[in-house]
Amino acid sequence: MPVTSFRLPPLLLTRRDALIGGAGAAAGLLLSSRVGAQTKLQITEGNFAPLPIAIPNFVAGSPADAEVSVGVAQVITNNLKRSGLFAPIDQSAYIEKITNIDLPPQFQSWKTINAQALVTGRMTRQSDGRLKADFRLWDVASAQQLTGLSYSTSPEYWRRIAHIISDQIYERLTGEKGYFDSRVVFVDETGAAERRVKRLAMMDQDGANVRYLTRGADLVLTPRFSPSTQEITYMEFGQGDPRVYLLNIETGQREIVGNFPGMSFSPRFSPDGQRVIMSLQQGGNSNLFVMDLRSKSTTRLTDTPAIDTSPSYSPDGARICFESDRGGKPQIYVMPATGGPAQRISFGKDSDSGGSYSTPVWSPRGDYIAFTKQGGGQFSIGIMKPDGSGERILTSGFHNEGPTFAPNGRVLMFFRDPGGNSGPSLFTVDISGRNEQKVPTPGFASDPAWSPLLS
Amino acid sequence: MKVDKTLIASVALHVLVIGWGLISFSTRSLEAPPQESMPVDIISADQLSKITAGIKTGEKDKPKPLVEKVADAKPAEDAVGKITEKKEIVTASAPEPPPKPVEKPVEKKPDPPKPVAESKPKDEPKPIEKKPDPPKIDPIAEALKSEETKKPVPKPEAKAAPPQPPKPKQERTFDQSKIAALLDKRDPTRQSITGAALNSSASLGTTHGNAVTLSQSELDAMRARLASLWNVQPGVDHPEELFVTVRIRLNPDRRLAAPPEVVSSGSSPRYQAAADAAVRAVLQGQPYTMLRQETYDQWKYMDIDFDPKQMFHS
Repeated sequence: MPVTSFRLPPLLLTRRDALIGGAGAAAGLLLSSRVGAQTKLQITEGNFAPLPIAIPNFVAGSPADAEVSVGVAQVITNNLKRSGLFAPIDQSAYIEKITNIDLPPQFQSWKTINAQALVTGRMTRQSDGRLKADFRLWDVASAQQLTGLSYSTSPEYWRRIAHIISDQIYERLTGEKGYFDSRVVFVDETGAAERRVKRLAMMDQDGANVRYLTRGADLVLTPRFSPSTQEITYMEFGQGDPRVYLLNIETGQREIVGNFPGMSFSPRFSPDGQRVIMSLQQGGNSNLFVMDLRSKSTTRLTDTPAIDTSPSYSPDGARICFESDRGGKPQIYVMPATGGPAQRISFGKDSDSGGSYSTPVWSPRGDYIAFTKQGGGQFSIGIMKPDGSGERILTSGFHNEGPTFAPNGRVLMFFRDPGGNSGPSLFTVDISGRNEQKVPTPGFASDPAWSPLLS
Repeated sequence: MKVDKTLIASVALHVLVIGWGLISFSTRSLEAPPQESMPVDIISADQLSKITAGIKTGEKDKPKPLVEKVADAKPAEDAVGKITEKKEIVTASAPEPPPKPVEKPVEKKPDPPKPVAESKPKDEPKPIEKKPDPPKIDPIAEALKSEETKKPVPKPEAKAAPPQPPKPKQERTFDQSKIAALLDKRDPTRQSITGAALNSSASLGTTHGNAVTLSQSELDAMRARLASLWNVQPGVDHPEELFVTVRIRLNPDRRLAAPPEVVSSGSSPRYQAAADAAVRAVLQGQPYTMLRQETYDQWKYMDIDFDPKQMFHS
């Protein structure tokens, strides 16, 4: 029988271990063996592919609700698809037909078509004539309900129910607030290029429910929403100088903001909705002023022999970013909301061939300032951090201008004019630069401003 | 002209030697053969001794090392792990632990949403009420249940044969293993020689005293599979906060033995969404067919880190 010496070491080790004994050593061994057995895997690369989601038509409580049940599912599908973060699966691929949303769906049949999330819902008419929507969001892989909510409203507002449900789905699956239950105010443009009629118009963020707010007799520019979404401030060329107006959406009432000599323009609400900040023309210059809407008192914020305009508050109301040509070319500056020293944040890479910045707007999330950049014969839309770092151009071309943030700060809307006899249209782009989409409008459209969430 | 012959010889010899040196040293390639990378674990001496320890009295020609017990038991610290482990430590004759009783989806209806007739003056639809969640259905447990029925019966020879003692020798021999047994006062169950499958016959051990290790290519393939299934949102704020670690336990059939457990922590809705995305990727990835049966010990428990930070560096 071969007993070789090399077999000894294990035995010696065993004996030594045995002699060590002791609870402490035993604990140590236990720990080390656990660490040894637990394999670690690091995943640092995923993909930015949109999430496959199935949105079957909602179940109709009665035959009369069939149309709205289909409509709600379509609006949700369209919203999620346009966001670029979801890939709604075509309904023709569905295997299971949802007939009762109070029973768990057959997850295997949704797995088969590669759906990762599933939305089921039901529309019912209540005895008082109101419309009720119940919906459930399911995680297909884990077969669990993620959200289940119920809403009711009068039947004509069924689209808002669809937008609110879209926001719930978006929020649960991305962890960020949605932006679908919101509106956009813009300048509607019709007629030939030399005799353009410009009207103030408002629509849902998806282009539905267009309403005209002015008749088009006078030129309107730069409409902006109040935080309450009930009012709009804008500039209108009336009989005399252009002035800043305030318009109540529900009542249609409008009033001039302040009575200043010379032109007032480029208005915007403060985040609390109590003040309007704007530019006032003084000779060849313009400076920034803020007016308290209740006391009507006006405070001067800048006093420079330059054109200071396009002010926009940070979401906390503590700072203001604005455009000024005090350094030669228009650039973006940031200063305290009470005035004071302004710090230039835009510099541009090639100061010779252009690189002027305008129309800054602070993200509702606070992390970025979006701008229009002009240089090299192109107009671009970009974002940078409030300290001027991390500049990123999202789109470039003949003419892109006037960015406005979606309520969640994830998407920008802007207008693009291809030049020639054509006119401007509205577009959205993700702040990552992905997913550029045209926004449907009845005619040409410019100067969009996105409202906060309506609810 | 007179030339010293020795000088010539010396010069010639030097030239020869230096020339040879130049050629041979300069042409000698110093590149090291490419080494396959491999994951390294630090193990204790105790573990080393347990790895395919042979028994000196074993038969020479036995190809497999002695295995008295299906490898298991080692990794256990937290209470949860211990419980699940107990189920797994079975003599091969015992059936798989039954899955947790789960309510059949169809039998139990969730409470229907309560009708709310609330009249609002304006066009402001408001969330009226949150509905109770319907019962949680555990598809994995369901799958387990169905799988259990078709599971092949463990190998009969493994259950029938108790560990065979090494062949008794008639003549008095000096048996070191017995000394070791006398000296070793530790819990005998921890002394069982472990392996992927039961083998009751003792051998001298394999020439290379290595347990089968997870190869880099297996891990790479698994990593690639998970990366392809992991959805990351573009344009998120502070991606470094979305680091998610998912702990999984796999069955030998390369499917999850239990729902993945998120062991990292975070409370924001963004973190919750990131954790969901990681769990979705892990659930979708099964079965992990790239993992070899022999290395089951090493992929039975895994911690998978999902770190999106680098994807946002551009």
